[in-house]
Amino acid sequence: MALLDVRDLVVRFRTADGTIHAVNGVTFELEVGETLGLVGESGCGKSVTNLALMRLLPRPAGRIEGGQVLFDEVDLLALPESEIRDIRGRDIAMIFQDPMTSLNPVLTIEEQLVETIRAHRRVSRQDARDRAIQLLEMVGIPKPEGRLKAFPHQFSGGMRQRVMIAMALALEPKLLIADEPTTALDVTIQAQVLELLGRLTTEGGTALILITHDLGVVAGMTQRINVMYAGYIVETAPTVDLFAQPSHPYTVGLLHSIPKVTEAEDEELIPIEGRPPDMRQTPTGCPFASRCAWRLEQCWTDNPTLAPLVAGTRLVTTGPEATHRIACHNPPTHEEALAGRPRRAGFSPAPAPAGRIDELAAAAAMIEVPA
Amino acid sequence: MTGPAVTGPAVTGPAGSGASVARAAGPGASGAGTAASGALLKVEGLKVHFPIKEGIIFERHIGDVRAVDGVSFELRRGETFGLVGESGCGKSTTGRAIVRIYRPTAGRVEFDGVDIATLEGDALKGMRRRVQMIFQDPYASLDPRMTAGSIIAEPLDIHGIGTKAERQDRIRELLPLVGLNAEYGVRYPHEFSGGQRQRIGVARALALDPDLVVADEPISALDVSIQAQILNLLSRLQDRLGLTYLFIAHDLAVVRHISDRIAVMYLGQIVEVASSRELNTQPLHPYSVALLSAAPIPDPGVEKRRRRIILHGDVPSPAAPPSGCRFHTRCWLRERLGNPERCSAEEPALRELSSGHTVACHFAEDVAGSVEQGLVTGRNVPVAAGPAGGASPAAE
Repeated sequence: MALLDVRDLVVRFRTADGTIHAVNGVTFELEVGETLGLVGESGCGKSVTNLALMRLLPRPAGRIEGGQVLFDEVDLLALPESEIRDIRGRDIAMIFQDPMTSLNPVLTIEEQLVETIRAHRRVSRQDARDRAIQLLEMVGIPKPEGRLKAFPHQFSGGMRQRVMIAMALALEPKLLIADEPTTALDVTIQAQVLELLGRLTTEGGTALILITHDLGVVAGMTQRINVMYAGYIVETAPTVDLFAQPSHPYTVGLLHSIPKVTEAEDEELIPIEGRPPDMRQTPTGCPFASRCAWRLEQCWTDNPTLAPLVAGTRLVTTGPEATHRIACHNPPTHEEALAGRPRRAGFSPAPAPAGRIDELAAAAAMIEVPA
Repeated sequence: MTGPAVTGPAVTGPAGSGASVARAAGPGASGAGTAASGALLKVEGLKVHFPIKEGIIFERHIGDVRAVDGVSFELRRGETFGLVGESGCGKSTTGRAIVRIYRPTAGRVEFDGVDIATLEGDALKGMRRRVQMIFQDPYASLDPRMTAGSIIAEPLDIHGIGTKAERQDRIRELLPLVGLNAEYGVRYPHEFSGGQRQRIGVARALALDPDLVVADEPISALDVSIQAQILNLLSRLQDRLGLTYLFIAHDLAVVRHISDRIAVMYLGQIVEVASSRELNTQPLHPYSVALLSAAPIPDPGVEKRRRRIILHGDVPSPAAPPSGCRFHTRCWLRERLGNPERCSAEEPALRELSSGHTVACHFAEDVAGSVEQGLVTGRNVPVAAGPAGGASPAAE
């Protein structure tokens, strides 16, 4: 039985501009102690998915319009508010991108840590304080007794994120959700924080969902990855398999969009042309079609579902043996994935039907204009 | 590193002459002591200090934030020179001082043979025609009440170039050049996506046909899939227009991809300058090594093999930089060498260790060929080594 079982989650936002289709039927599972990466660009629904399962969507705009979230076999979406409050912090903890806005600026670190502990555990103030010192020590804050009375602004960004980690792990949660935990930090500080996060979750057997746009971060930190695009999971695989054999055109595009520190001299970047779809439109066809070099005619009208890369494979949804699955009608071959472009004689991406924007054609038309 | 201030022959070559030269010459080919002929920009001992003041009525000057504190480098015509470092290292301030958004506290900034650090009035305006800037945030750097066309044409207005019709022609010429529809000039910034806005920012920088473009983190506000579009656009424009770039960014992989040569900055100073290839394979400053090792690599195999050098603590305040070598408080090499006194007592000067590769470290020779240097790529990590042992505990 999986620790977390998300089934067909649908999240919409009602705004003055129309309905935002943020998450359009996301299904995934997570085992006890497993680390899962959620990768995608801004607006792909990776953060919203997690806010939804914690029931922290901004109200009244954000609404869960369908699906189930089973945590330890309890449907979080059906729980009354008082019970979900007990689960938040105690069983599922969250770390956000910007530690300054997640910490209360007018309370000392001690007050915030003790409050967290005492909200869920019946312990004396003194015991909670001792636990706070122990936690700060664990996340590598020097002389923790002396720092308890400090306010968040007296810490640097990296230190604040350590305090956040201490707070998140205070109650030994079963699941930690880290939403871009190092995006606001410098690279040498990012290395410190990631090392700490990896070590503590492994030691404590805490399952981790790491949300990030940085493929480098998930490569080193996770066992399994879900790639999200426009509110859908478009590819899922164990981390090693995903990088060894990226198979959705979007994943292939992402990998060719980033320069690698180890790249061969003059390796060319192959950008993904165009831009993500307008989430106010009701999705028709594959959400990636307008930017995809591999698309077929049916991609414009028929949205592919997530299916095993090798047809007929027995489906494993978690763990290191998880089935590599993609949502694509015409996946790139391994050679094409390495090249970053279709390599089939006579193949060209299917032109857009009337009324749809063809980002590839638009970009190609621009590039050739003489100066 | 640089000879006495030579007033270069102010040959303003026609645009387009330089691009291929630098790309072809590449690293190594151009040795030390490049004559002024190849240098478009020469920065010598640049300092930018911001005063810290106290008191309301009687302001007292109680110290300085030494954002840039003695920076020297040279940009060759047609090359891309990368400035890389973490926040607060002074890389953006250096760029802004070159465009004269900030007035340098001391030092020379020689652009095409003329010291522009102290220029005023019309002379400054004339210089700015040839040095343009691309900013980080495509949301904040475009006036929301102006159309894309008027944003792009504003530099022409300021410098009084062309008639109204000619400016319209220029807008219609620049938009496709940066990959936008020529008809989009009438639209407002909010109608564009982040990547498209950055293209408008690029078009604005190109409106005056500049020689030097200072790009300050031009892609860090953009999504990954869009970043590559802008990087490719910048490279293509350089080839076509013979531009020289000063490319400022914190992301080493990006800087490495686009630059011919790279300078690594730490706390207001340059600690290492090398060709992009050499910096990647043979970094010689302990900080550069740590920076490279900290950058996550999108390859789980490499990530598993390589080991990170985790630096202790945070960057010290530029208002009170450490004595001697500014990196000595966090340096893994110093620790391994038994904390030699020289590091905290004597400020290391930039010295040339091999052709075109300069480094400011007393013990740079100990970095060459060290295990830590191998850690950087994950290629040559010995099996049973605990090399980074001295530096690995994250806390302190």
